[in-house]
Amino acid sequence: MKALILLGCPEAPSQTPMAVYASYKLKQLGYDVSIASNPAAAKLVEVSDPEKNYIGELLNIDKCLDSLEEGQFDLLVGFVHKDAAASFFITYYHILQTKSIALVFEQDGDLVEEYREMVESSTDAEIVAVRAYHNPTPLRVRFDKTLNKIMESE
Amino acid sequence: MSFCLETYLQQNDDYEILLARSGVKECYKLIKDNSKEIIHVNPGDKVLGARLIGIPPIPVGINEDKGTILITYTKPCHGTAAIELPLKSEDIAEIREMDIGVN
Repeated sequence: MKALILLGCPEAPSQTPMAVYASYKLKQLGYDVSIASNPAAAKLVEVSDPEKNYIGELLNIDKCLDSLEEGQFDLLVGFVHKDAAASFFITYYHILQTKSIALVFEQDGDLVEEYREMVESSTDAEIVAVRAYHNPTPLRVRFDKTLNKIMESE
Repeated sequence: MSFCLETYLQQNDDYEILLARSGVKECYKLIKDNSKEIIHVNPGDKVLGARLIGIPPIPVGINEDKGTILITYTKPCHGTAAIELPLKSEDIAEIREMDIGVN
C-alpha cells in the first residue's frame, strides 16, 4: 500500500510536525509513504527527521504532479491551509482518484470554512477541518479519528 | 508532451502576468472577463503539456485574434496567478477539443 502526503506552504507551524506524525502513523499501518512538497517544506521535514525514521521519500510537488497517474497511490493525505493548497489537493485528488483525507486548518475560522467548502464541493475526500496554527493537537486528534474510521471501513 | 511552465516563465519574456499572488476564484473571474472564448478543463488536465491546478471546472481563455491563451498558474506559497501566453494557431483546435462543456 502506498500513501502520499501532500504539503502546502511551510509557513503554517503545525504542518511540519503533523507531516512527520502522519508519516509515522501511516507507516505503522503498513503504508509506504511519500511526501510531495515544495523545496522549503521538504527541507523542514528533512531536518525534523534526519535519519528518516518516520518520513519516507520526498518528492517535488510540481515534478510529482507532472508524472502522477490514477491509482499510483492508495491514500492521499493533504494539508490545506491556503487557497493554493486547496487547489493542489483537489488536483491531486482528481488525478489519483483514490481515498483521500484533507487536513484543513487555519487560525481564522472563516478561512477554515472557505477551504473546507472548496474541498467538499470538488471531492469526496474525508475532511478534517479545524482552527489550528501553532498547536497541532486539534489536527492530530481529528486526523487519528478519521484515519481509524477509514481503516475500520476497509 | 510535457511542458514546464515554470521553466518557460524563467526563460521567456513573451508572456504577461495579469494577476499575481491571488486566489483561484479571482483568477477565474479575470480569465472570464478578459477572454473572447472560454473552454473548461478538469484539474490535472494538460494544456499545452502543462497540468492545470485548481478547482473544477478550470477556465482557459482563448484570444484567437491576439494569438494568446490565458491560464492559471499556482504555487504553494505564492497563490494563483493568471498568465497570458502566446498560442500557436495550430494548437487552438487541440485546446478546444479539451473542453468539458460547462456554460
